[in-house]
Amino acid sequence: MTDNIKRCTKCVLSASFPNINFDENGVCNFCRDEMYHTADEDVLDKSKEEIIRRFESGKGKSQYDAVMCYSGGKDSTYTLMLAVEKYGLNVLAFTFDNGFISPVAFENINRVAESLNVDLLTIRPSLKFMKKLIRASSFNPVYTKRTLTRISSNCNSCITMVNILALRMALEKKIPFILAGFTLGQIPLNTIIYKNNYRFFQDSRKPILDKLRKAVGDEIDKYMCIDEPLLDSVTEDPYNVNLLCIEEISEEKILEKIRKTGWTQPEDVDGCSSNCRLNAFNNFIHEQTLGYNPYELELSHLIKNDLLTREEALEKIQDKSETQVNAIIEELNITPDELSSLKEIYKKK
Amino acid sequence: MAYTRDEIFNKLSDFVAQQFIVEKDEINMDESLIDQGVIDSLGLIEITTFIEKQFGVTVVEEDMTRENFGSMNKMVDHIFRAVNK
Ligand SMILES: [Zn+2]
Repeated sequence: MTDNIKRCTKCVLSASFPNINFDENGVCNFCRDEMYHTADEDVLDKSKEEIIRRFESGKGKSQYDAVMCYSGGKDSTYTLMLAVEKYGLNVLAFTFDNGFISPVAFENINRVAESLNVDLLTIRPSLKFMKKLIRASSFNPVYTKRTLTRISSNCNSCITMVNILALRMALEKKIPFILAGFTLGQIPLNTIIYKNNYRFFQDSRKPILDKLRKAVGDEIDKYMCIDEPLLDSVTEDPYNVNLLCIEEISEEKILEKIRKTGWTQPEDVDGCSSNCRLNAFNNFIHEQTLGYNPYELELSHLIKNDLLTREEALEKIQDKSETQVNAIIEELNITPDELSSLKEIYKKK
Repeated sequence: MAYTRDEIFNKLSDFVAQQFIVEKDEINMDESLIDQGVIDSLGLIEITTFIEKQFGVTVVEEDMTRENFGSMNKMVDHIFRAVNK
């Protein structure tokens, strides 16, 4: 299986990735550069130690120890298992239903929550709103090019809402930890555990919030902002913890473990997702606007850490279904003119 | 551990340049990294964690302000004050 894209011969970063160059053997600067590899162990060890310490002192003080952003995908399913079984946390699972979750993923969500005996809370914005938002983040330069090196624009919109809603829940219920199923490569090493101070970080989201408000109206505030009275009542900021980042585990092993809870792989999603029907479309938009697949960085990280082979990664990137993309294009009533405007979005300015 | 202002500046700008794939001379040191599009909110989290781990400076809530983190120079000043307290 090949596509005609020039890629690093070691990882899967392609020629369109920002600031990339290749040596005579076709190896990219990110693979060659020592700086991108060293000191990892030290930060990992410190994060691991901090997580264990904070869990020990924070457990058992509230109705729930943690709210878990639970998408029903393989990584967040395994993370939820870790939280409950390995760390003994009393978890509230929170699912954000963007209206495009695969039906099989929903069966997984219910089955896993039941099997792990955790409470499950779902929030589903109206489909009308979600469609507006997806259009807005597909056809406007909402996020910076740098943000988009790790994630597609639409995924980032959903994840921003998930993060804020989970934080709001944590603040309302005085839950000390917010968990998510991110892996290293999806998020930077220095964000495995951090104190989530809303006011401080919200300031940095202002540019994107302004753009989204302009495109979809103030309704976005319901999902991307927290009210002042609640913020004023906060005595202690919760910690966001990305538990999966401190595990060294291959995808194969993760699948083996989560299947025990009855989890099955949905068939109506692309090779890079295990829960969301939008993903193929999101990747398509990313490739059209920026020229590379938004999973390249994450998959390359897994390859570097021997958690995935280059062939497996290529297979994932190349497993894209036109049928899935077209289904979403139709559901969102996207016109050919809009599609042909994609290449210009980040060229302006 | 004691650091001079220059040492702090070099360490922090090395980190930012490497981590956010940007050349040092592209960064305006007196302007917000967010407004320049160098970092997003995840980047801000990265920087605060880096500051804590690298310089042993605990970033407490009162410190989390635009005044302290609003530009490279402001961050360097903030770290310099904190390590020499
Ligand atoms: Zn490479």
